[in-house]
Amino acid sequence: MTIVANERADTVEPTARRMITPNDLIMFGAIVLFGIVGPLLFPNYTFQIAVLWLMVLFAQTWDVMGGQMGYNSLGNIFFFGAGMYICTVTQIGLFTDVGLYTSSSDGGSFLFTPDQYYIGVAVGLLFAAIGSSLLAVALGWIVFGLRGPYFAIGTLGIALGAGELVGAWEWVGGGGGIPIPVYPGSGDGKSFFYYCLCFGAAMATFVFLKWLYSTRFGLAINAIRDDEEKAEAMGVHTMRHKTVAWAISAFFLGISGGLFGNMTGFIEPLEVAFPAPTFGLFMVAMALLGGKGTIWGPVIGAILFHIVKEATWTYFLGWQWVALGVIIIVNIVFFQQGIVGWLQEKYPAWFGIEVEERPSGVKGAAE
Amino acid sequence: MRHFTKWSLAAVATAAMMGTSSLAYAACEDLTLGSAISFTGKYSTNGIHAKNGYDLAAKKINEMGGVKVGDKCYNFKIKYYDDESTPARTAQLLERLIKQDGVKYFLGPYSSATTKAAAPIMEKYKIPMVEAEGASRSLFNKGYKYLFAVLSTSEQYLASSVALAAEIAKKNGKKPGDVKVAMAFENDPFSLDVRAGVLDDVKKHGLKVVIDDKLPRDLSDMSATLTKVKALKPDLLLISGHSKGAATAGRQIKELKIDTPMIALTHCEAAKVTVKYGDSANGLLCPTQWAETLSYKGAAFGSAADYDKLFKASFDGYKNVPYQSAQASAAVLVWADAIKRAQSLDTEKIRDALSKTDLKTFYGSIKFSAAGNNIAKPMVLRQIQDGKYNVVAPSEWASHKIDFPRKAQ
Repeated sequence: MTIVANERADTVEPTARRMITPNDLIMFGAIVLFGIVGPLLFPNYTFQIAVLWLMVLFAQTWDVMGGQMGYNSLGNIFFFGAGMYICTVTQIGLFTDVGLYTSSSDGGSFLFTPDQYYIGVAVGLLFAAIGSSLLAVALGWIVFGLRGPYFAIGTLGIALGAGELVGAWEWVGGGGGIPIPVYPGSGDGKSFFYYCLCFGAAMATFVFLKWLYSTRFGLAINAIRDDEEKAEAMGVHTMRHKTVAWAISAFFLGISGGLFGNMTGFIEPLEVAFPAPTFGLFMVAMALLGGKGTIWGPVIGAILFHIVKEATWTYFLGWQWVALGVIIIVNIVFFQQGIVGWLQEKYPAWFGIEVEERPSGVKGAAE
Repeated sequence: MRHFTKWSLAAVATAAMMGTSSLAYAACEDLTLGSAISFTGKYSTNGIHAKNGYDLAAKKINEMGGVKVGDKCYNFKIKYYDDESTPARTAQLLERLIKQDGVKYFLGPYSSATTKAAAPIMEKYKIPMVEAEGASRSLFNKGYKYLFAVLSTSEQYLASSVALAAEIAKKNGKKPGDVKVAMAFENDPFSLDVRAGVLDDVKKHGLKVVIDDKLPRDLSDMSATLTKVKALKPDLLLISGHSKGAATAGRQIKELKIDTPMIALTHCEAAKVTVKYGDSANGLLCPTQWAETLSYKGAAFGSAADYDKLFKASFDGYKNVPYQSAQASAAVLVWADAIKRAQSLDTEKIRDALSKTDLKTFYGSIKFSAAGNNIAKPMVLRQIQDGKYNVVAPSEWASHKIDFPRKAQ
């Protein structure tokens, strides 16, 4: 028992992030301030900053599973695509025939009135969130029997398979995709509208997860990560916790999918809705870069990643994938715990972690 | 004092002379056209063909003195971004071109999918785009007002080969119902619309579809379909998958020794199948938007044949000029013409001028329907005969007779 206690004192993985430290408040304040001032100061970058918030959301939702619960999912992008399709189909289906609208040959044009547009987006996002959660519950029932790499590959299969299946589904346009209803206002108005929704979604995710990790539920999924058998033996209903955790990820990812579809203006299954090789992997890379299993890691990782990505895409065209590869390799080889993980180890006090001195330490010897 | 007047007069005279001379030889101001197009990814071959077409036409217009608006003149400059062949990037890059680079005049991306992502952005900012590489009809039934396309829509690509197969069957005393058709299409807006056109014609002529496959997403292998083709022995094989699909088809038709009597596929020229696969490409039927042998003529490039010659002299490595380049050049000509007629740089006025376009070019006539597609130009079907592309259909343009059955090598 004493050995276990000593080990506990050594590891920097205690209950610290369950409370709100002044540093948390400063960071959160800075991000909210940037979120509000950003589009006002740089109105021409609104779209890119909006995508940044989606990236933050991606990394956070991946971390619920990968970081906090130890289940490395490569298929979370499935819920992004599912949300995108559910939202779009709802937006269209509320007011006209979806099959006719998506048909490439003789589909008539259908113009949405402003009211129809906004109602469609609101109801669509709601359905996207709920629908994705339900899909997570259904899929969880199948894949949570898998562990480790098998789980990762199994979920990747879901994402890839979904792209192909939707691509064969003619009612939603198949591989031809669906053009999204056109926003009934000015171009800048649309950018700002979706900016607010993206920012709101990312912040809501953060606040919700911060709260969630402070509850018994947070402890339970941590226990599953640390030792699933022991957790189960201690009376944690692991299956239920895993399913709920995935459904929470899916809820927010569904919303992000609906938003991204509307911002892009055209969705199709392989490249836009279920882009496993890009967004699907980015969300993992971002969480690892920032530090998985921490509350700030995914946020900081996503911000850094997005800035580097946009900069290389603009100034080193042709080298962007090389640059991303280098970042990922450096990250994996030298910084496995990520930026925040490393900081947390180095300066635990910043994170409100109290490292107790060993009782048999220097003090005792002096006496 | 007199001295001073004399000097000042001289100075004024010199200044005036310099003024006039600078007016006469004034370097035109730059006018930036923007385009997010595929330099990497599965559409990169055609993306680069299209870029070459854009660049050549912009150079030509500038050499001819630019576009004159009032007493000013403008040189075209084109700003590109790489969309990596995915529509998910298109919206972001166009936003960047519009908001950060201040571009107000657009050329299209490559492929229907990316053009479908571009159209709503143009609509959102009320900025016109002349596109040359998005052919799916689904682009033109959504009521977009700022999208103009110089090319014919995609349902026409392979339809004429279906009619041809039915005609040949009748001539040989076979019933059209006995003609077996095998099809393999990429799962994207363009090829799906090609497929829709084919299905309409198959129904019209009463042929029988025996294989209806999708090409895999990266378009690098179609041996599964071709194995079925070997077993079921169809009379007509139809394939559409942009350049990469055509290259894969050309390679595997050769490797698997497919001896179907009639094979039609899109994008042969762009995939350079004659250069890559030599004799085994003989007999392939290739629909094309444009051919250098057609009798089109326009002010900027002269005839279709002149364009062909200029293009080959300007860029290395082209044995045949792909129509993707020709129509890209045509899009730039449409811009020059519309700005000249609008006599303004106002996007609304230019949009109105664009909608009234009625232009004769080396690429054919260009006139837009209310939906924005070009309705003044037909498509033709060419066959590769001894390594050369010869027009075999429709009959009013045909210069050669079709080889049937195809001489399998």
